[in-house]
Amino acid sequence: MASMFPFSQRLRSCNNLSLGFPRKIFSYSPESAPSPRAFPLPFAVRHRSFGSSPIHQWRSSVVLDSFVEKPARPISLRQLIFFGGRNLDERRIIDFANYVRSELPVRIAHRIRDMQKLPYVVVTNRHLSEVYELYYSAFDAFRKIPEIGTVEDNDNFCQVVKKTLKEHLTVIPSLAMGVLECRDLVPPEELDRFMNRVLRSRISRRVIAEQHLALTDTFNSPFHFPDSSPHHHSGTDFVGEVFPRCNAREVVETVGKHAQDLAREANGSLSRVPEIQIEGHLDTTFPYILSHIEYIIGELLRNSIQATVDCHSSSLELPPIKVLICHAPQHVIFRVSDRGGGVPADELADLWSFAKGPRPQARLKNFSQVPKMAATLQELQKTSHTHSRREGQDSSLSTLTSRPPHLRLGMGLPMSRVYAEYWAGSLELHSLEGYGTDVFLQISKLGNKSEQLNLDGV
Amino acid sequence: MNLVSSRSLLPRSLRLLPISRRHLSTTPIAAPDGYTASTDEIARLAANPLKPLTLRDLIRFGRPPLSPQALLASARFTREFLPIRLCRRIVALRNLPFIIVSNQHVSAIYDNYQQSLRTVQLFPTSHPNTMAEEVAFTEMLIDIVKAHSNTIPVLARGFLECRRYISSAEATKFLDHHLRARIGTRLMAEQHIALHLASTQSPFSNSNPLDYDGTSGGPDTYIGTIDTSLQPAHIIESCASFVGDICELRYGVRPQLKIDGDPEVRFPYIPVHLEYIITELLKNAFRATVEAGSTVPVVVTIAAAPESAGITIRIRDQGGGIAPEDLGQIWSYSFSTFDHERSMAGSKSGGASQRNPADEDVLGRFNEVVGAAEGSSIAGLGYGLPLSRAYAEYFGGSLHVQSAFGWGTDVYLKLKGVGIGDFGGIGMGGLSGHHDDV
Repeated sequence: MASMFPFSQRLRSCNNLSLGFPRKIFSYSPESAPSPRAFPLPFAVRHRSFGSSPIHQWRSSVVLDSFVEKPARPISLRQLIFFGGRNLDERRIIDFANYVRSELPVRIAHRIRDMQKLPYVVVTNRHLSEVYELYYSAFDAFRKIPEIGTVEDNDNFCQVVKKTLKEHLTVIPSLAMGVLECRDLVPPEELDRFMNRVLRSRISRRVIAEQHLALTDTFNSPFHFPDSSPHHHSGTDFVGEVFPRCNAREVVETVGKHAQDLAREANGSLSRVPEIQIEGHLDTTFPYILSHIEYIIGELLRNSIQATVDCHSSSLELPPIKVLICHAPQHVIFRVSDRGGGVPADELADLWSFAKGPRPQARLKNFSQVPKMAATLQELQKTSHTHSRREGQDSSLSTLTSRPPHLRLGMGLPMSRVYAEYWAGSLELHSLEGYGTDVFLQISKLGNKSEQLNLDGV
Repeated sequence: MNLVSSRSLLPRSLRLLPISRRHLSTTPIAAPDGYTASTDEIARLAANPLKPLTLRDLIRFGRPPLSPQALLASARFTREFLPIRLCRRIVALRNLPFIIVSNQHVSAIYDNYQQSLRTVQLFPTSHPNTMAEEVAFTEMLIDIVKAHSNTIPVLARGFLECRRYISSAEATKFLDHHLRARIGTRLMAEQHIALHLASTQSPFSNSNPLDYDGTSGGPDTYIGTIDTSLQPAHIIESCASFVGDICELRYGVRPQLKIDGDPEVRFPYIPVHLEYIITELLKNAFRATVEAGSTVPVVVTIAAAPESAGITIRIRDQGGGIAPEDLGQIWSYSFSTFDHERSMAGSKSGGASQRNPADEDVLGRFNEVVGAAEGSSIAGLGYGLPLSRAYAEYFGGSLHVQSAFGWGTDVYLKLKGVGIGDFGGIGMGGLSGHHDDV
């Protein structure tokens, strides 16, 4: 019987194996396995993984190759809004569904290939291999979904998406823990680059997935009329996940209060927390994904509050944290200035790294305490956000935002920067050692910059 | 020993020779006594391994007043290393395209360097050995420093005139290199001069060509050009006063200044460097504030890192910030965006309004810099930021500009103390992040 895999393809598959898995790539699952006689690979050995990680399946790399070859098609905030604007009718929903359906496996495939090229010792780390398995299962699930033609098809599709999103809630803590554990095995710069790529891609997939879920919800909701003007959804102005008019001051106030409450609870309800003063262009609004901006501002304020409290523990007065909101024609800028003593010079260089930085053991321990499942979210979430939330909706960020202050994970800044840069923004920090810190978050206001995917297409 | 009377001790050949303005060729220029510095010799000297000027070098001869032996050692050190630095500058200049060095201004600078090299080399190596020679040597140094005090505006003028023949990137690269190197060369000469003056006469006498402006406790805290107890707040106040005067003259308005953080902090540094940097930064901040019509004071925050690791100075204005399209230009020696009318009066921050030619004179003064770091006017050529950064980075510091366009600008100046400690210990400053590639 002729081999299903011509020899040249087998060779090509072999050549992809530079650093990664020489053996795990090849699948022996029933529908794709050629007869062993026609497939006399020198490497055709079934491989057991080390340690306690699950035995990996054998998979064909050819299928993955074909998806890796396709580029991702980036979408901008503007396009996201447009898709969910007025005239959200059946056709548009199905169009978007198919866009998501074809994009997800492409984007995941790129990340899987990325992981495969990492050193073997890294990907066999128990946390990272968990992520690898999650990604591969998701890839397999999504690539097999046929074209969506009807609303019912879309509903089924949404079920798969919802399920996958929920399963992948553990990815961020797992990645972070894996990277921390591997920091001595691989140059930290490589780990940081990897982490940045994976996180960026993750944001990209979740954004389009969640946007689609939200739009489907809107479409299916009994109060939705396709030709009515301003889209209403539960009394808010969300277009799916995107909030066209995030009010900068409100975000800072809400998030700030939340952070202050958390700090107060952690340190004792009578403990002082610094005041947060807002100045600048107070009526600034901009389109953004609310959970993203809340996460970033939240991290910055948490850092400032913590630093201020630590630095002035013995004095009566806590100097306030000053937040400046500034809008320019194309940008919105948040400047968070605190007097928390600044960042020591020797820590400055590692501030943006996931792999480097002080106290890795303590951080690892803290990570294991971050609630991974939505189930425990209710326990931890003390304040409710003013905007409605669907369950499972980007809960990965919510769990991080709601964590108590003493769970120092050491990745607030690099994570925030990934989110900021995702929409073509930036995050910069300036330290006045001995005095305080200024952090500048710049956001592109018009939302017409495409997501910053990698050149090779995420 | 009185400097004036010692002039007669100089050999005839040392008195300044007329500089031939157009003489460009690489054939040796003959000095009256037949001494020549040939091309080959320049190349040979320039090829010497570069010895970066560290703070250790600056203070290694001791605290003034120096003994005659120490002073002579300092003079000989300068005699040994100054020619190497001068040669490297000459080599860099002569490797520029012919058409650039043909420009009258650039060639004047080129001749200047060659002249200075000849002058220094007329002292035999391993000299001076006597106090008389040392005095002559120092006076020669003073003359050289004076002769080169105009280098920047003249060079800038030359490059401006040649902007059609050289790319912006190439010019920036050369100028950045050159001006950073110049900081070290000048410092080497000025340090010896300062040590000499502090060791041989009272620092407050009138014939002192370098100004000690007493911003510290007094001459006891100085080691040559370094004030071991420099109080930045003092320098900031005096620079603000100067810049404010000019603002009042030009705009009729004087922005306010507020200093907070730790105004009492002191650290070892070179006052003229700090003065230059602060003046440039305050000029930017004040001008932006005035042009934006803002009455909000410029706030300067001084932060002292624990364990004397350094200080950070933040200058915060509410002058509207820097437009994104200008941000890419602020660090370049941006002669390429000049037009000729603006060359004497213009300046570089984003959104600067058109200058009235009648105000050129006033603006020329606005662009003057106080202190001995840059002797004469920079004439608004937009060198302030890149040059300030060069000074800041010289001893391992840094300068960052962060703009919130639509509101204002924050500038962060970090300086490491010129790590003297109690003179026994040598600190970090100057040994790492050193940009002295002369």
